[in-house]
Amino acid sequence: MNRTAREFQYGLFLIPAFLFYVLFCVYPFATMFYYSLTDYSIAKQTGLHFVGFRNFSEIAHYDLLLAGIKNSLIYAVLMTVFQTALGILLAVALDKKLKTRNVLRSVFFLPAVFSPLVIGFLWNYLLSTSDAGLINRALTSIGLDKVNFLGDSDLALYAVVFTQLWQWTGWAMVIFLANLQSISKDYYEAAAIDGATSSQQFWRITLPLLQPSVSVVSVTAMIGGLKVFDIVMSLTGGGPGNATQTIMTAYIKTSFDEGFYSFGAAYGVVFFGAVLVLTMLLMQLLKKWGGSNR
Amino acid sequence: MTSLSRKGRTRKGNWPLEAAMIVLAVLFFIPIYYLIVTTFKSPEQATLHPLSFPSSFGFAHYRDAWHAMDYPKVLGNTAIVAVSSVVGIILFSSMAAYSLARREHAVNRVIFFFFLAGMMVPFQMGLVSLFKLINSLGIMDTLLAVICVNIGGGVVLAIFLFKSFIETSVPLELEEAAFIDGASVQRTFWLIAFPLLTPVTATVAILSTLNVWNDFLNPLLFLQSRDNSLILLEVYRNIGQFSVDWTSLFPMLLLGVAPLMIFYLVMQKYIIKGVAAGALKG
Repeated sequence: MNRTAREFQYGLFLIPAFLFYVLFCVYPFATMFYYSLTDYSIAKQTGLHFVGFRNFSEIAHYDLLLAGIKNSLIYAVLMTVFQTALGILLAVALDKKLKTRNVLRSVFFLPAVFSPLVIGFLWNYLLSTSDAGLINRALTSIGLDKVNFLGDSDLALYAVVFTQLWQWTGWAMVIFLANLQSISKDYYEAAAIDGATSSQQFWRITLPLLQPSVSVVSVTAMIGGLKVFDIVMSLTGGGPGNATQTIMTAYIKTSFDEGFYSFGAAYGVVFFGAVLVLTMLLMQLLKKWGGSNR
Repeated sequence: MTSLSRKGRTRKGNWPLEAAMIVLAVLFFIPIYYLIVTTFKSPEQATLHPLSFPSSFGFAHYRDAWHAMDYPKVLGNTAIVAVSSVVGIILFSSMAAYSLARREHAVNRVIFFFFLAGMMVPFQMGLVSLFKLINSLGIMDTLLAVICVNIGGGVVLAIFLFKSFIETSVPLELEEAAFIDGASVQRTFWLIAFPLLTPVTATVAILSTLNVWNDFLNPLLFLQSRDNSLILLEVYRNIGQFSVDWTSLFPMLLLGVAPLMIFYLVMQKYIIKGVAAGALKG
């Protein structure tokens, strides 16, 4: 067989993945940049006009969208920090020689296989002030007052974060554990001989060598956090008021419930910018940290 | 001597940690335990003794939930979507990754970067256009729509994982021998390279299954009729209808997560391994 024919065959191998990716991801994404500059809406689907950046400036006057951005940022940052920190703590504890550690690991990972939608409905009951509200019943049984976690606009977003930490910390733990197991025990033996305490060993050996997994977990948590949707739909529906609206819930509401396509598209462009900027910042931070370890 | 005594001390010293972790794990598990036991209780029982073991195992609530959700049908639909999507992701991304790994010229490097960039881009923002596209392709309200979108989004991470595995763990020698014997790229890939990809194929299969099975947003937008419903859509649609008799909702939630719960109980070791490998190898 000649060379050109072979190169051609290699090229053919790319086509199915490329086609699906371009058609169902890249193309819809790219057209949103165009729509964001037009007056496209459910009432005006043909003969679109260019309106410049009007859609973008209007975002600033729309509480739902502003709340979505603010809440998603808070949510993503909290998830990134706590999922990483708690995941490391769990992993370090369960990397020790405990008799039950395999069972413990499976228990902590278990919530991660469930759909956030169902987890949201479940926690909606657990956190409620009704008879089903297990958390509030525990609080009243030790003499404290009931707390309306999901109905209080100052608390609701943190309640969402709490349920998602419960769900995803085990996922992070599994990744940190795999990283921990690749660290040679020689480092610890050498450090112990030099008289390093276990907390010194953690800060000087464990943490710096966890850098690969910290990068993966924190970047994934950040991007996933900015895209959060399912859990909000089932746990709070975005309320009370707009207290737990996120970028995705606000986007879906604006575009699909209200039919302001171009407006939603402009919001999507802002969303893309936010993901890009935050991820870049986080990567710079991780790079700096990685550099200072060397 | 010293090492012996140190060992003895650490073993003793681990007991407080072990006890603390067990307590934490029990607390952690309570929501899931509560979900399971409440499915067998009446609202009165659940209110009086929320955490007690159920006194009787009536399946009446399960039967109602089963019928309300049309469970066999939606389970079947969800399985069709999951299996087709995962098979599509595995076939298409392993082929693409093979081509990208074995032909590292400038064009392919650009194409690889083009795929890789997808990990950071929130493609959800294109949903309005995607909705229009699905409509004009004539596949609105079909399982095929969800499958196509799943494959489009799923190949990104999969190509990355397959490519790094092929580069580090699949030897070129066998393929070269096959080429000398006149085998085509296709033959060489399917007969020689693909069987060697089993570990990474398992990782991709596990990660994609979890993603696809738990996806809610795409089915919500692209599937409208009850005939083409999926498990999570039925949970979402039925949730308002049982508000008085609130415990009868719990079987529905449990049926919603049951398939993956069983998947986890059976495949636990592989799932945990797959999650770790998917994150760190590459």
